[in-house]
This record gives sequence, structure tokens and C-alpha cells, in this order.
Amino acid sequence: MKKRVKTNIGSYIFLMPALIIYLSVIVFPVFYSLYISLFKWNGIGDMELVGLNNYINLFVSDPIFITALKNNIIWIVLTLVVTMTIALALAVMLNKQFKGRTFFRGFFYFPCVIAPIAVSIIWRWIYNPSVGFINEFASLLGLDFSQSWLSDPKVSIYAVFVAALWQAVGQPMILFLAGLQGVSTEVLEAAVIDGANGRKKFFKITIPLMKETFVIVIATLIVAAMKVFDVVQGLTGGGPNNATQMLSTYMYSQTFTYNNVGIGTAISCIMVIIMMLVIVPYVSFTAKDD
Amino acid sequence: MKSKKIISLLLASLMLLSVIITGCGNGGSETTESKSGTETTGTSGGSGKTSVTFWTLSTRQEALDEIAESFNAANDDVEVTISYYDTDGIKDACKVAASSGTLPNMWFNWGGSLGRFYVDNGATYDLTAYAKENGWSDIFTSGSLSLCTFDDQLAGYPTSYSVLNVYYRKDIFEQYGLEVPTTFEEFEEICATLKENGVTPISTAGLNGWHVMRFVELLVEYYAGEETHDALSTFDESWDNEYVIQALTKYKEFCEKGYFPDGFVTANPDDTRLAMMTGECAMDIQGQWYDGQILSDGGDLSLFGTFALPTSGTSRVSAFAEMTQFNANNSAEELEACMRFMDYYYNDENVEQYADFYNLPLPKIGSEAPEKYINIPTIMETAETNGTFTITDQAFPSEVADGLFNVQDAVANGEMTPEEGAAAIQAAVEAYQSK
Amino acid sequence: MQGKQKKIFNKTALYVILALLALVWIVPVFTLVVTALKSKQDFYSGIGLFQLPENIAWGNFINAFTKGRLFTYMKNDLIVSGFKVPLGILVEALAAYALTRLNIKHKTGIFIFFLIGMMLPMQAALVPINIIYSKLNLLNTYFGLFYVYIGFGISFGILILRGFMKGIPKDIDEAAYLDGCNKWQMFLHVILPIVKPAIATLFITDFLSTWNEYLLASVIINDNAMKTVPVGLMTFVGEHGTDYGYLCAGVLIAIIPVMIVYLFFQRYFVEGMAGAVKS
Repeated sequence: MKKRVKTNIGSYIFLMPALIIYLSVIVFPVFYSLYISLFKWNGIGDMELVGLNNYINLFVSDPIFITALKNNIIWIVLTLVVTMTIALALAVMLNKQFKGRTFFRGFFYFPCVIAPIAVSIIWRWIYNPSVGFINEFASLLGLDFSQSWLSDPKVSIYAVFVAALWQAVGQPMILFLAGLQGVSTEVLEAAVIDGANGRKKFFKITIPLMKETFVIVIATLIVAAMKVFDVVQGLTGGGPNNATQMLSTYMYSQTFTYNNVGIGTAISCIMVIIMMLVIVPYVSFTAKDD
Repeated sequence: MKSKKIISLLLASLMLLSVIITGCGNGGSETTESKSGTETTGTSGGSGKTSVTFWTLSTRQEALDEIAESFNAANDDVEVTISYYDTDGIKDACKVAASSGTLPNMWFNWGGSLGRFYVDNGATYDLTAYAKENGWSDIFTSGSLSLCTFDDQLAGYPTSYSVLNVYYRKDIFEQYGLEVPTTFEEFEEICATLKENGVTPISTAGLNGWHVMRFVELLVEYYAGEETHDALSTFDESWDNEYVIQALTKYKEFCEKGYFPDGFVTANPDDTRLAMMTGECAMDIQGQWYDGQILSDGGDLSLFGTFALPTSGTSRVSAFAEMTQFNANNSAEELEACMRFMDYYYNDENVEQYADFYNLPLPKIGSEAPEKYINIPTIMETAETNGTFTITDQAFPSEVADGLFNVQDAVANGEMTPEEGAAAIQAAVEAYQSK
Repeated sequence: MQGKQKKIFNKTALYVILALLALVWIVPVFTLVVTALKSKQDFYSGIGLFQLPENIAWGNFINAFTKGRLFTYMKNDLIVSGFKVPLGILVEALAAYALTRLNIKHKTGIFIFFLIGMMLPMQAALVPINIIYSKLNLLNTYFGLFYVYIGFGISFGILILRGFMKGIPKDIDEAAYLDGCNKWQMFLHVILPIVKPAIATLFITDFLSTWNEYLLASVIINDNAMKTVPVGLMTFVGEHGTDYGYLCAGVLIAIIPVMIVYLFFQRYFVEGMAGAVKS
């Protein structure tokens, strides 16, 4: 009996540092935000309790919020489908043995390292309708192209996504690379002996063995897609006319520019709730089977 | 091997952490202690020295570091510590500080709705009495003082007064036989001629809306006339009226005729100068600081001239001010210390020595700009002769301003008709008013 | 020998694809580099985006260090990142170990609880943290900054480390226990070495996100001498216009330490689990 108790306390000590720091830095602000979101407040003056009105108004009478929500969903889908696939493909290619592998890995990771403000500036030039790279390149090829990428509301969100993709793909790529290391060569060789060819090998063996890595990548990509801010704010500021407005940029405007702190915090709470609704079941499901 | 590394790292970090906690806790001491302007800092009593903090833009840092140093050296009963922020960062920092009660003793702010927020919520020191005692109406221009006054409360020390004109390339105008317009119709003809000859008439950029707004507000002034425009700005008149629709229709016409650069809707307004310098565009609506910028970019200022866009009545120009605001919780000593520093910062010697870091001319009576800025006198004169109106994004609360900017984008992209646009602006006004 | 031909074909195809992708990827970087070499005058002379200027504006780089005080900011950022990252990883590893291998109730529940931190937008934490810190006099201290950074990094760190630790077969644990290891020894000598690729990855990503973090740093640190790189870089942006050459030069310089960290740690991807599994 005594031994049991000792073990347990000893185990909890491992958790202590993380728990303490986490409770003060994360949990407190979460409760604070939940609390504030129930009020109408401008940040300094008096607070007026409005209950769930902020939330209701957002969904019912705020078209910009709905647009932002829609844009975030598009972004999440694009991220999971495009970014993750490219990251995986790159990781697989760069996992093979060949000369210059290290160089190429660093190369594709490099954009992650560049400060967000520079990413916005560079891509703004690339998309510039008159002197930007894309249109100049196209005119070199003889195509008459004067598409204005960022100011065209039909195209702008995708244009911004490409810039974000360029910058962000390195991160999931190295996560996949690390995960691929965990797929032991023995298992793979055994599979080859059993007659599995390349593609089968990959889908039936490698991917399942990387299950934990996928959990990590998918969870972080969904979160990043939900929270995306810097690249959108820098390239379009949410425009033109809210074509690229995201929940985070809208939250920022509401809280810091319009001084509707209650509404802004309600938006962040909604963001967290949506992420939880998607990620928690996914993670618990994969965490259960052990 | 790795474990040993980790243990030693851990020990080292712990040791250094303890050093840092004790070190940094005191290292930034002066800033930390005097940061909470909301509590009595206790620094004024003990050593007899009053410590004050000042938050301002980092573009001034080169000059201010030296100015602060010489001020602190010359005054051993006062110490000023300055923190620098970029233009977006300072807005956020001040908001966060206001919400947590950690505003500094004095900070830079713009006028209009940006500055008014702090005044309306009692975060700023009411300077009306102080100004009277110290004869500010004889020191500062009336225009700047009124832009710093909100509901009869003088809330700021005027530090800058800006007036907008239309900057134009004299050589390009000459090349196509164009002259400064005296009527709006002449202005339109100029645009048409320029466009025919492959020059984009107006350099503008729509990111965050305020640069395009500089043109749209002039259109409103033209179609609605001075009185109605003022009523519109105070929301005493609905924006869903024929004048606004006419203004938006003309704006749409300009978009369709290609009088603005391609893809301007999301272009960065900081870059409009580029097109002017290369001659791609011939006009740009800017304030008097443009002279200084052109010179520092290595441009030839003699190629640039200015005029007030002919609208209606006296063709008023748009103006706005910047100021330093003071913490409402400043003690008398702290306020005095702040004022001494501000007076020193803006005294004649410093202004002359560090001219490039001030927006000249100062909002002080009798202040002049260096001669090399040839366009400034003309611009400031238009403020006197034509009269001014407060620039729209300062006259409007930010939510309504964003509503206007969205309409600008939408009309340019054909997503909204001018009628819908005018209605949308009014809807934004009403949404704000019913808040 | 069909097998060999296929191999060569595959390898060539690989190189070609990678080279093409690399070409596409490099365009923005090239723009960054070329811009850093231009002076203000070059910009206004209507130079093309990709044209190299006649005279390389080394002044941009020099200015970044003198006027821009980039060296100070980089030193500060190194201090912050250099402490935060190892410390943070340690805290996270301890927690991940507990969650995967120790006798704790509601492991999955606690794990999910930790995940919420990843979802919180940083803007939402600004005001509450600012309030607490001003009361505790932690504003403008590096300790305050570390503490917040570690807090925000916990979710991701635990997510990764737990994931990798789960992948370690339990037989290793049993073997170690039989050998007489206690919990601590197992943690330090057995588990940690095995998750080296994860730690290396985390080191890189954590260092990067700490190095480039702007929002919290700009709110918590007011003292100019203590600013970090992203906050410092923003001072390169002017009030009415930016000297892009200068800014790009600053950005390029700021990248160097991160790339060094990356290059140093990325070799651990290669080592892999081969050794660990065998033992």
C-alpha cells in the first residue's frame, strides 16, 4: 500500500512544472477571456453584462464574422489537402539516400525562418500586377496577363494561401521527416520480402506506422489554419472588402481597432471551441487504441 | 551522453535563471518602477528625482535618444525614459496598457477618434487649466489646439499639424501642356490627357483604406459642399444621400477609366511614392512631410509641386494633428517633469539640429520649415486661405471608417453599386450608433 | 539489369522534380536577397525586381547593425531563445514521459487539457498577462518573457514528445526495469536518447518560433535595450514609407542564427531509431 502511494506522487512530480506554468499562462487567460466575452467593454471604461449576446449577434447579425468563418474553413481544407500532401511528398523524397539531401532539406525549410513581415513584403512584390514576378514571367511567355492577384476578391484568398504555403510547408515537412525515421528499416525490409511493392509498402505500412506523426501534423495544421494571422494581415489586411478576412484578423480589428473587447474575446472563444470540437475527438480517438 | 548534456544544461539554466531573476528584476528597474503611472511610484519622494516614461514612435529614435540624454544630463531632478514602437505596435501597446492600467506618464498619439478613445475613458490628463495658466493659445496655432480638444477638454500637447494637398510632377504636366486645375472639370481633363499619354494620373493604394479615402473625401466635399460634408462627418446627415452616391459614382468612373494604378485596392500606401518618383504616376495626395521624404529618397524636389484640389466653395483641404497625451494619474511633479521634457524636445535648438525627425512646421505660432522644403509654405498657406476639414479616418470611429474602406474596395471591384455603397456606409454609421 | 535501370531512372526523376520545385521555391528568396542589395536610389530609378543594382548597397547591412542596433536585438533574442528552448523542452519532456509511461490517472484527459493551450490565440492572452505581470513587477523582465513563452510552448512540445514516446515499444521499459532502473534513470538514460529526432525537431521549431515571436515580446518588453529581433526589425519600418533595402538586409542577417541551429540539429533526422530498436 505504501509503495503504491509513493509511486503516484513521484509520477506527479514529473507533471508539476508543466502544470504550474500552464495553469498560470494559459488557463488563467482562457477563463479571463470567457469572462470578458460575456460583457460589453471597451477596454477601459465600465463593463456591461450582456450574457451570450455577443455570441448570438456574431452568428445572427454579423455578415463579416460569417465571411471570416467561411474563409477559415476554406483555409483549413486547403491546408490539409494541399500543404500536408506537399509536405509529406517532400519528406518522402528527402528521406531517400542521395547526395545533396541535406542541402535540399534546408532549402525547403528555409522559408519558415524568414520573419513574417518580410514574407508579406516579398509576396506583395511578386503579386504586383505591373512589375511583379508572375505577370512579368507570363508576359515573357507571351501570355497577356494582367491579373491583379491580391485585389481580385475571387482570387485573393488563394493568392494569400500560396504565400502562406510557401512559408509554412517546411514545418510539417520536418515533422514528417522525423516521423519517417521512426519507421524502422527492418519492418520495411520484411514487407519487401513479403512481396509488397513501393506504393503498397507506403500506404499499408509506412503511413500506419507514422500514425502518431500524423496526429501531430494534422492537429498543428488545423490549429495554424484557424489562427492564421500574419501573412493575411500583411498582404491584404483582410481585404479587399473582407474577401480575405479571417477570424483572427477580425478578432484583432474588433478588440484593438474598434475597442469592442467583449466581441473580440467572444470571437477568440469561438475559435478555441471550434478547434476543440475538431481536434479533441480526433486526438482522443487515436489516443485510445493502445 | 545526451542525458549528461541535459543535466548540465538544466543546472546551468537554473543558475543563470536565478541570476537573471535577481538581475533583470533590478536591471530594468527604473523602467519597471516608473511604468505603473497608476500607482505612486515612490521615486519622486526618495531620491528627489522624478522619473517619467514616454512612449513614442521608433522613427524618432535617433534624435530622441540624444535629446533625452542631454535633457537628463542638464536636469538632475528629472529623468526621462523613452520606449519606442512602430506605428501599429504603439496603438496595440497603448490599448493593452490602458486595459491593464499600465500606461506610461506620457505617450504619442494621433488626434481624432484614435486619441479621443483615451480622453473619453478618462485615461488622459485634462490640460485645459494648465494650458490657460501657461498661455498656450499664444504658443500653439489655433488649428492644432482645436484638433487636440475633445468635448471642451484639451487632451494633448500638439506636436504635429499636417495638411494634405495634391502633389504633382511639374515636368510631366509641362510635357503634356497641362496646368494646375482651377476647377474640378479641369482636373478631370488633366486625368484624361495623362491617361491618353500612358501616365497613370493618380498614385494611390488601398491597403487599410486611408489613402484612397483621401481622394474619396475630396469627392464628397465636391458634391456635397462644405456644410453638408461637415454634417456627414458628425453623422448629423445620413450618408445614404444623393451627394455621396454621386461621389461614389465618380470614384467608380475613375476606377474604370484606369486613373488609378492596376491592382491598387490592396497595394501598400507606403509605396505610392515609388510611382511618383519613376514618373509612372503624376499625382499623389500627401501631406507636407512628402517634401522631406522625396529629398531623403534622393529625388529632385524641383520636379514636384502642389495644389489644392478644386472642389466646392473655398476648396478646403484635409488636416489632422498628432499630440502627446498625459496619464490622468500623473502627480503634479510628474506632469511638470513631462512638460519640461516636451518643451525641451520641441525647443528651437533641437528642432533645428534634428530637423528631419520633426514634422515641420511645428504647430507653434511662427514656426517655419527649413527652406529646402520648397512646397511646405504653399501647402500651409492653403490651410489658411482655403480652410480645413478633419481628415475622415480621424473624424470617424474606426468601425465606421472600416465600413467606408470596405465600400471603397467593393465599388472599385464592381461588387457594389454606388447606391449600395452609400447605403452600406450609413448602415455602418447606424450600427455604431446603436452600440 | 532492369532493377538497376529503374533505380537510375527513379533517382534522376527525383533530382528533376526537386530541382524544379527548388526553382519555384527560390524566387521569393532571391527577391529578398536582391532587394537587400539595393539602395533607396536604386528603387526609385525604376529598377526591375530581379535586376541587380550597379553598386551593391553594403550600406544596408552596415546600417542594420549601427542605426538598426541589430546586434543588440540578436544578442537579446539569443539569450531568450537559448534559455527558453532547452528549459521548455525539459519541462515538456518530463510531462510527456509522465503521460505515456507513468502511473497517472486520466492520462488522455490531462493530455487533451494541455492541448487547449495550442488553440488559444495569443492576442487573447495579452491583457490578462499584462495585468498579472504589472502586479508582480515582471514587466520588462526576461524571466517574465521566458515564463510566458514556455507556457505557450507546452502544448506543442507535449504533443510531439508524447507522440514519439508512445511509439517506443513497452518492451524496452520492461527490460530497463528488470535491469534495476528507477523512473528518473529510465527517463534520462533510456527514453530521452530514443526520442532524439523528436527533440531535435522540437529544438528547431521551438527556437524558430521563439526567435520570431513578435506580439508578446512587444507588449512585455518596453526597454529598448532588451528588445528582441522581430520587435527590433519593426523599427526598420518607417512612418510614411520603408527603406526596403535596409529592411531586407536586416531580415537576412536575422535569419543566420536560426539557420545555424537548424543545420546543427537536422543531422539527428538521419540517425533514426536504428540503434535504439536493436538494443
